[in-house]
Amino acid sequence: MSSEAAAAPKTNGWEPKIVAFCCNWCSYGGADSAGMGRFQQPASARIIRVMCSGRIDPLHVFNAFLEGADAVLVTGCHIGDCHYVNGNDKTKIKYKFLENVVRELGLEKERLQLNWISASEGEKFANFIRDVTEQIKKIGPSPLKPEGVV
Amino acid sequence: MSQDSQTIKTAHQIVMQKGEMYVGWSTKEDVRKRGGSGGLVTSMLAAALEKKLVDAVVVLKKMNEFEAVPIITSDVNEVLNSAGSLHSVPSNFAKLIANRNLKVALPAKGCDVRGIIEQGKRNAINLDNTFIVGLNCGGSMHPVVTREMLEVMYKIKPEDVHGEEIEKGKLIFETKDGKEHAITIDELEEKGYGRRESCRYCTIKIPNNADIACGNWGVTGDLAGKATFVEITSEKGAKLLQNAIDAGYIQVQKPDEKGVAARSKIKGVMEGLGKKWKDKVFVPMDNRLEYFRKELENCIDCGACKAVCPTCSCGDVSKCTEFHFRGDAYRMSMYHLVRFLHLADSCIGCGQCADVCPVDIPLTRLYRRFANPVQEQLKYEPGMDMRKPPFFEAKLEV
Ligand SMILES: Cc1cc2nc3c(=O)[nH]c(=O)nc-3n(C[C@H](O)[C@H](O)[C@H](O)COP(=O)(O)OP(=O)(O)OC[C@H]3O[C@@H](n4cnc5c(N)ncnc54)[C@H](O)[C@@H]3O)c2cc1C
Ligand code: SF4
Ligand code: SF4
Ligand code: SF4
Ligand code: FES
Repeated sequence: MSSEAAAAPKTNGWEPKIVAFCCNWCSYGGADSAGMGRFQQPASARIIRVMCSGRIDPLHVFNAFLEGADAVLVTGCHIGDCHYVNGNDKTKIKYKFLENVVRELGLEKERLQLNWISASEGEKFANFIRDVTEQIKKIGPSPLKPEGVV
Repeated sequence: MSQDSQTIKTAHQIVMQKGEMYVGWSTKEDVRKRGGSGGLVTSMLAAALEKKLVDAVVVLKKMNEFEAVPIITSDVNEVLNSAGSLHSVPSNFAKLIANRNLKVALPAKGCDVRGIIEQGKRNAINLDNTFIVGLNCGGSMHPVVTREMLEVMYKIKPEDVHGEEIEKGKLIFETKDGKEHAITIDELEEKGYGRRESCRYCTIKIPNNADIACGNWGVTGDLAGKATFVEITSEKGAKLLQNAIDAGYIQVQKPDEKGVAARSKIKGVMEGLGKKWKDKVFVPMDNRLEYFRKELENCIDCGACKAVCPTCSCGDVSKCTEFHFRGDAYRMSMYHLVRFLHLADSCIGCGQCADVCPVDIPLTRLYRRFANPVQEQLKYEPGMDMRKPPFFEAKLEV
């Protein structure tokens, strides 16, 4: 994956695991341009490509956390640009509910984030991953991480 | 005016309409005697069946003072025999009539009504064929807790109880020897007894979401305790009441102004108390993850909490039930995570889940933690009208 191919700054010790859901038509393209543009980004992100952000079931996000993700990112096309017309309007609704559960559960707000990124916004994507990685390094591993998973 | 008086306006003299209020009672003496407050509800249900407004009626069939089972019946006598309010039977009728395609009339506390309406939105109940007779509700008690309360607080054997009533804030039990035993509800609840926790913070006291709302609040003077106050809240409700009058099952008269005012005042007071309880139960909390983990630690994944949930209309195999396993070393139940999310907009706080949990997890308290902020923010009150659950919207300004 291009984003992982980019050279990761070697910080001392722990590297967070960040699961980033990207839609095929925009944010995955953004991740791709980040790699092609050789923007510096950490090796923390695991990108999961879905056809549309509207396909991201809250269940997928819970699963990522329960399997040990330190942060989960929901990304897609800018509102109005969804290639399935209004998939990301539905993403917004699901995200609202998801955010509520994750917050009420007591997870820090940095661990779940939403961002709209177009295919040409490689730098935005890279910065986003870098910022989240920094935030998570500050707050440490997720309390939902199973025992034995780093 | 005597309840047996024949001079009261009956058939065809009044045309029932939405928004109108009446005070009424059953014309059958034994029903009136057994009824919670005049037997009007029972007689109205029986008349609907008799005159074929509906094919079936749901009522509670009493087993003893603390237990009753809901039944769907087409037998008018069975309906007439069911009169009376059972305060320690926290049943919910929504799922009982779901997916049966019945033309049915049924009594319903606020939470029954809300469950029925949510099932209606999910196409599991045809609301056009469902006549909902709302019951005012100050709260219900868990039968197991009630038994313990009788022994600990009242020092009486549950088997000796002959009757029960609520008067002026006191819960009064009558024993077979004719004696009355009264303790204030406040004192009972201070000690952890009394109403179920969900009822304490429930604010649906007069179910205006039903077709007709019935209760004893607002009945004044000689009739107090002997008649039922009704408010018609829909065309169907008007039809029900008119039908019962025409059939000679009930008699009604206009309520006096004092009664109307008293009813609305007590409604306001009860709602205020409910809001106070809500703040008391849902205090802000740190370290919530640990709290939820601890509370859910003993869950045996039996699925009962989902099976009884009156707003859930998924089948036996659904998204949450796919995760009834503990194979992975997950730190939180996926089953509950899915339900926390799905119920955030739709939980009506009925308390059914907490009532049935075999390991006594205070589930309603957990589910409301997730539901309160969403429902407040989206100004969405499930089961109160036909508005679509926000989670199902295609677009939402959030
Ligand atoms: C738990 C509970 C709390 C109540 N609290 C108040 C209150 O605070 N203020 C007020 O004005 N009125 C309250 N009521 C309503 C009141 O007690 C009477 O039911 C109402 O006035 C109708 O009286 P009735 O004689 O016409 O009903 P009845 O002719 O006695 O008919 C009552 C009907 O209700 C059904 N029923 C009995 N128990 C339950 C139950 N637990 N759940 C669902 N259905 C049931 C019976 O099967 C029957 O069909 C409450 C009722 C219940 C069940
Ligand atoms: S939840 Fe509300 S409507 Fe239901 S039994 Fe309790 S007080 Fe009555
Ligand atoms: S989650 Fe519990 S309190 Fe909420 S509607 Fe379902 S059974 Fe009732
Ligand atoms: S009823 Fe209790 S034990 Fe059963 S699944 Fe629900 S929480 Fe778990
Ligand atoms: S295709 Fe990108 S959000 Fe729908």
